[in-house]
Amino acid sequence: MKNWRLKEIVVMSALSVVFAVVYLAFLPVGKVLVGFFGPIGYDFIFGIWFIVSIIAAYIIRKPGAAFLSETIAATIEVLLGNAIGPMLIITGMIQGLGAESAFAMTRYKYYNVQTLMLAGVMAAVFSFVWGYFTSGYAALSSTYVLAMLVTRMISGAIISGLLGKALSDALAKTGVLSSFALVKEQRRKNAA
Amino acid sequence: MCLHNVNPSVKALTILGLVFVLAFLFDPITPLLFIIWTLLLTMLFGSFRKKYYFLYFFTFFIFAAGMLWSTIAFADTPKNPADQVSWAGWEVPKEDLFVAISLSLRILAFATLSLLFMFTTNMVHFILSLIQQLKLPPKLAYGILAGYRFLPLMKTEFQQIRAAHRIRGMNQATSLKEKMKQYKRFVIPLLAGAIRKAERTAIAMESKGFTGDRNRTYYHNLYVTKKDWLFPIIMFTALGVFITLSIIFDYFAWYNGQL
Repeated sequence: MKNWRLKEIVVMSALSVVFAVVYLAFLPVGKVLVGFFGPIGYDFIFGIWFIVSIIAAYIIRKPGAAFLSETIAATIEVLLGNAIGPMLIITGMIQGLGAESAFAMTRYKYYNVQTLMLAGVMAAVFSFVWGYFTSGYAALSSTYVLAMLVTRMISGAIISGLLGKALSDALAKTGVLSSFALVKEQRRKNAA
Repeated sequence: MCLHNVNPSVKALTILGLVFVLAFLFDPITPLLFIIWTLLLTMLFGSFRKKYYFLYFFTFFIFAAGMLWSTIAFADTPKNPADQVSWAGWEVPKEDLFVAISLSLRILAFATLSLLFMFTTNMVHFILSLIQQLKLPPKLAYGILAGYRFLPLMKTEFQQIRAAHRIRGMNQATSLKEKMKQYKRFVIPLLAGAIRKAERTAIAMESKGFTGDRNRTYYHNLYVTKKDWLFPIIMFTALGVFITLSIIFDYFAWYNGQL
């Protein structure tokens, strides 16, 4: 925590708060989809629930950003009240660890599209393994479970990876991120 | 004993421990008894508006009912397909029904535990307790507290942006498609505003001498006293008793490759 500036921490938690509300807003959307398609319904839009990890890591570019932001978002969701309870904090931690693992694999050096999409996929894989044991997916037939996993991975890559990058880049254009790693590195690249 | 006075960290860790044990149980009786026990405890030793509690409980209940339905409908082939029970006009394998009921009851048991925490814990005390008992770095914790305070501000900001758009001639969205477009227009200004506000808050905190150092004083000092240990002891004893009861009545099932 020592090499983090306070500014980065507060901005990260503000982002987490915003997305905690977004996450909660998407739960009923997921429930409607589940009503139509069965448990796979959540997986179509599962990527939305990893998005803050990707955005925070992409903007701040420090080890721990993906993990901490997702954990904070999950904690705020619990405090606001949701239908899953404190288990959600652990779920958030595991999703955050998944995204974090992708950035760790690149040694926190590359923040290109591929890494961000990989982070979405890893978050999907981690959350799926966790869900397999806690939500009882194994009670479902194995082809169905495989379809769920693949859908979730694609959703993670597209919704959290691509949409997360698009949102952060749009934010960078407004100028509010001028003192953050994302814009600083872009500036350095343009100068070189 | 009043649930509100239990140290928040002790309360949170106890609940996590209970959730962990419950996650390995696959019989319907233990979670059912545990739900009743937690409900009673929350009602007797917590002071809050009971109406809100049941409102929340109801949403959990719907969720659990949905889980019951989907687990049966999309179930794996059972080991004993011939062993069927008739339930609500359906022929369902007995094994599937048992697993489905215990999974849904487990969700409800988790729900009652989390409601117990939510309704009897003050958020600020919880974060302070995380710093003081669980050694969370103060820099991170106060950062989170500052972020959390933005929540009501965000709502005002949202209304302001909407009003600003409307005053410049963007009409009120009526169809679902227009609403989606409208939200797309809101996202960037809302996030940019949040980031600006967060940055200003951080600068204000630092200019008033906040360093994030662990060696600091607190307005609220939280301690773990002997009384706080009563909560985990009572909860785990109750769980033990329910497990024993379910073993005696021959309902008990431990995790045994069901999933």
